[in-house]
Amino acid sequence: MKQLLFGILFFMFLVTSCKKDDVNPPATTYLTVEVFPMYSNLGSSSMELDSVYTTPEGYKVKFTDVKFYNSMLKNGGNNLIEASFFDFRGTGNFLLHTVGDYTKFSSLQGYIGVDSLLNHSDPSAFPNESPLNISNAGPMHWGWNPGYIFMNVEGKVDTIADGINNLDHSFSFHIGTDAYRRDFSFSNLSWIKISETERKLNLKLDLWKFLHNSASPIDLKTEFLTHTASGQQLLTEKVIANFQQSFMPQ
Amino acid sequence: MKYFFYIFILLGVFFACRKDKVGYKATPYILDIPSHFPDMIIPSDNPMTAEGVELGRYLFYEKKLSGNNTMSCATCHMPQNSFSDPNQYSTGIDGIQGNRQSMALINMGWEDFFFWDGRKTTLEKQILEPVINPIEMHESWKNAVAKLDQDMNYRNRFFRAFGEGGIDSLKAAKAMAQFIRTLISGQSKFDVMYKYENGMPLTSTEQSIFQTIDVEEWAGYDIFKSLDGADCFHCHNGPLMRVKKFSNNGLLPNAFNDLGRAHVTNNPEDNYKFKVPTLRNIALTAPYMHDGRFANLDEVIEHYSSGIHMSPTIDPLIEFGSQGGVQLDAQEKYLLKKFLLTLTDNNFINNPKFKDPH
Repeated sequence: MKQLLFGILFFMFLVTSCKKDDVNPPATTYLTVEVFPMYSNLGSSSMELDSVYTTPEGYKVKFTDVKFYNSMLKNGGNNLIEASFFDFRGTGNFLLHTVGDYTKFSSLQGYIGVDSLLNHSDPSAFPNESPLNISNAGPMHWGWNPGYIFMNVEGKVDTIADGINNLDHSFSFHIGTDAYRRDFSFSNLSWIKISETERKLNLKLDLWKFLHNSASPIDLKTEFLTHTASGQQLLTEKVIANFQQSFMPQ
Repeated sequence: MKYFFYIFILLGVFFACRKDKVGYKATPYILDIPSHFPDMIIPSDNPMTAEGVELGRYLFYEKKLSGNNTMSCATCHMPQNSFSDPNQYSTGIDGIQGNRQSMALINMGWEDFFFWDGRKTTLEKQILEPVINPIEMHESWKNAVAKLDQDMNYRNRFFRAFGEGGIDSLKAAKAMAQFIRTLISGQSKFDVMYKYENGMPLTSTEQSIFQTIDVEEWAGYDIFKSLDGADCFHCHNGPLMRVKKFSNNGLLPNAFNDLGRAHVTNNPEDNYKFKVPTLRNIALTAPYMHDGRFANLDEVIEHYSSGIHMSPTIDPLIEFGSQGGVQLDAQEKYLLKKFLLTLTDNNFINNPKFKDPH
């Protein structure tokens, strides 16, 4: 009897000793946020880099680069992600992908730009996968003192009425430094179900509205360059304000 | 009899839970990455090993990889020139010249695109190309491998690097990629300036170097970074002294009408765009630009100052292009050049670990 009992115990030990851990952890939900640049005077269709559009003033224009940072994305006490980077040419519509519970992010607040503490940290010390790591930031990092370029919109425009669309005039808006970091706050967000474990949020960036903000339109003929330098404050203010107002939920 | 049963079960448990046999392991190689550099991402299928790096060094200087056994990688990437070619165009084993300048091999482990047009996306893939290129080393990998296989020294080195017998092109490329990833330059005067201006602690050696930096070099650095000065930093910044992009920097198309990046993407928006190179060791890597058209730094500075050629794909960051360039005066050009010379890293070109081991 004793041997039988011992045999049963031994068999149970065998069955359990090589067993893998339970394979039913709580379901992880991945959250993805994408940004769709658009030129709203064309309706709701999304816009493309290097395609020619018309400015409110009637100039032909093409955008060659649209990039920006968001940081400290959260809803109240629920943090979503420390920093995210949108690079239309490099990574398309992607803004962020992280683990989270979408029910906690029916609203979203954060910065357009990089939080001050992060902005002046060693850019090579961020984790390799962080958008703030110098390897990922590349031209979006000016230096430790000024920090990151928060928002970068570049392109070509034809402001000469000679009938030739040679788009020979460049514009570049590089906004950075702590003073020009701006807030955003979105509410009533609809996370789209992609699968049981993934939800997606679509935002939009309306570049028509960026140029044609009724209160402060940007005329690319005369307002085509700012690097947030001294002497460029007026245009810098206008550019970041217009950008802030053109960034919204889809 | 029962005991046999339990012994049998015990043996079963022992073998069932045993891990697979652990074979030969090469020695992990720790890269010496400067404190102000980002991490280098090493491909998971080609971990750095001491044996792999050493094999890669042998192969980098190995002339058997060429069709007539006269050329190695180092023929066009000479250590004394910061692993670049002082000739405008490199000449292959058949006497044929290419139409682009050999790029300097500096800090390649941080790159995502290789060749001036970025047509390869890993170092391992890039390395495979010059051997078989008819205007370069003009050898088939089959022949090159056969030549290496006749050498017991190589057979042993390949085994030690990869833990298995056999030589092939992929292993050769992996080993050379490992060696090239060790070619790290981060000990120039500029590095001390970069660390100092960002409040990073300096070592005693760096403190000594710091004392040698003169006011003209600092002034040149200011001009380099200034939006109203040379405005170089938009494309050459950070510890690696470059940004990852392809740019049309206002050069007149050359006789070959080389379209650069557009050859890869077939997108006319990429016409005349080329990879932005690092400025590290720039004083050692003449001639300059993708076609080596500028013989010295003075000519390069003059280009950005007054020689910009406007075209539809010119980089918007060439902001003074419509005026012909940034219009530096003689003193500004002098100071800018003084700064560019601070990017020379003599430790890099004299490092015995990078020399020909043959």
